[in-house]
Amino acid sequence: MVAVAQMDDQPGLTGDRRGRAAALRFGLIALLILMLLLGLGWGAAGDTQVLAALGSKFGLAEASLRDTTIIWDIRMPRVLTAVLVGAALAVSGAVMQGLFRNPLADPGLVGVSAGAGFGAVAAIVLGGFLPVAVLSVVGAYLVPFAAFLGGWASTLILYAIATRGGRTSVATMLLAGIALGALTGALTGFIVYRATDDQLRDLTFWGMGSVAGATWMKLLTAGPVIALGLIAAPVLARALDALALGESVAAHLGIDTQLMKRLAILSVALSVGASVAITGGIGFVGIVVPHVLRLLQGPEHRNLLPNCAILGAIILLAADMISRTVVAPAELPIGIVTATMGGPFFLWILLKNRHILDI
Amino acid sequence: MQYRAKGLTVSYGARTVLRDVSFTAEAGEVTAIVGPNGSGKTTLLRTLSGEIAHSGTVTINGQDADRMHPRDRALHRAVLPQSGSIAFPFNVLELVRLGLTAGLASADPGEGDRIVMAAIAKVGLEGYGSRMVQELSGGERQRAQLARVLVQIWQPVLDGQPRWLMLDEPVSALDIRHQLTIMRLAQDYARGGGGVIAVMHDLNLTAMFADRVSLLYEGQLQRSGPPKEVLNDHDLSICYNCPVRVNTPPPGGGPWVLPQSMV
Repeated sequence: MVAVAQMDDQPGLTGDRRGRAAALRFGLIALLILMLLLGLGWGAAGDTQVLAALGSKFGLAEASLRDTTIIWDIRMPRVLTAVLVGAALAVSGAVMQGLFRNPLADPGLVGVSAGAGFGAVAAIVLGGFLPVAVLSVVGAYLVPFAAFLGGWASTLILYAIATRGGRTSVATMLLAGIALGALTGALTGFIVYRATDDQLRDLTFWGMGSVAGATWMKLLTAGPVIALGLIAAPVLARALDALALGESVAAHLGIDTQLMKRLAILSVALSVGASVAITGGIGFVGIVVPHVLRLLQGPEHRNLLPNCAILGAIILLAADMISRTVVAPAELPIGIVTATMGGPFFLWILLKNRHILDI
Repeated sequence: MQYRAKGLTVSYGARTVLRDVSFTAEAGEVTAIVGPNGSGKTTLLRTLSGEIAHSGTVTINGQDADRMHPRDRALHRAVLPQSGSIAFPFNVLELVRLGLTAGLASADPGEGDRIVMAAIAKVGLEGYGSRMVQELSGGERQRAQLARVLVQIWQPVLDGQPRWLMLDEPVSALDIRHQLTIMRLAQDYARGGGGVIAVMHDLNLTAMFADRVSLLYEGQLQRSGPPKEVLNDHDLSICYNCPVRVNTPPPGGGPWVLPQSMV
């Protein structure tokens, strides 16, 4: 690491890694475009003419109705969902790690995942008891909506518990999160215990995560909420850097720490809540992506957060392609792919960098 | 221009740590806060810096510190805490650059880089920019943190107002050479028109570098004034609960403290 660091130093400004982060971003953007095109062309339908189908929408090229339908109506929402959710998970992971000053923090720490899981399970199992009139209106959106509500409710409860006299203690939030997680886990377990076999199957697959169910409608509903959470991230960059030195030093440096904590929690609850609602639980992206980038370009959040968004999108696109391929014509839930890739990779990084990690 | 506190009282639960302390530091001077362990030195510094809830008032150059926006306060004073940890693998350059968080006096984008480099050089860490903070020795880490603090208030005077360097036991982790370097640096800052408020353990370094000393004992201000007045046998022996004799050896003629046997 040190040898590489010295190679691209500017004369005089030893240790400047901003240039490297910019170069990395350039490479990642190129890779993202490539992956997008690959993701659109990848699948069981044989040789679809991706570029022609893309261009036909704008009258630039000729393509068959079959190709335009596959590309625009089936794969495009799916690929864009993967991009948006991947970006949201990776950025939220980085924000949580910065807030908790711990490289192992996960978006789930604000309680959003546990709450969303509970909401989804409750909707799958108990949704049948709702009046038909209600069901006919909410229909397929019942589960995502319940997941989003569950995630929010649980984040708000945690925030309220951890806030005393206008100050939020992240340590209390972490510990209360464990307690609340256990409680929602127990409630979820109780509902699962009452579930029928069909419902159990739905529950299991929801927990593994998938972008296969992506539609334009879902994307257009959840997308703006996810994007709203992502927009807050650049505002947080400076505060997250300062928080690396601890809360009191961050305040000495001029950060309004309470405002920034609130903003961080809000943005993560928004973007992860909406992500989990449309794709279910997808693990490891939020931990692995920020960690790898910190090793490659340093921990300054101004450069870390945008690159996390791009790499998170790339990883989820790749995971989606793998999930479409390995058991074709069936599809493997994407959460299984990210955990299978992410787990060993994360262990490898941990072992390799034990000396710098101050955990 | 002064950094002042009037009637400061701070309690942790039922325990009162500071009792009705009034404190003044003048711009252009090094003001040392001394006293035995547990006398409230660090609490006083942290209260002055705006970190701890208190009764009484704190003013920076006449402005009520509690009503200033955190960013505005950060442009007026910088704080070096006693010990600090850093999460994530920041290198020295990136750590020092954090001093720019509140922004710069000038809008010139190159100005930040120049100040950062000058601060790194000033604490004697040239060439350390790419070293990871976690891998530094205790003394190097302390100097890197000091460089970060200096960057925050680089010009001692801004728009005709002095800026304040607040140090909590700045030299306790350092060897004698670096102790002198850092104390001289603090003194230079004061000579440049800024103010320095430092919690000190070493009474001899205090005698060498402080222009004014505040002696705390059990959360109360015992004495305050020039070192020659405050550092005397009687007050020190009572406050530190240890017989001491203050001497004046020929060079410089400053007071010089030698702890005596406790028997």
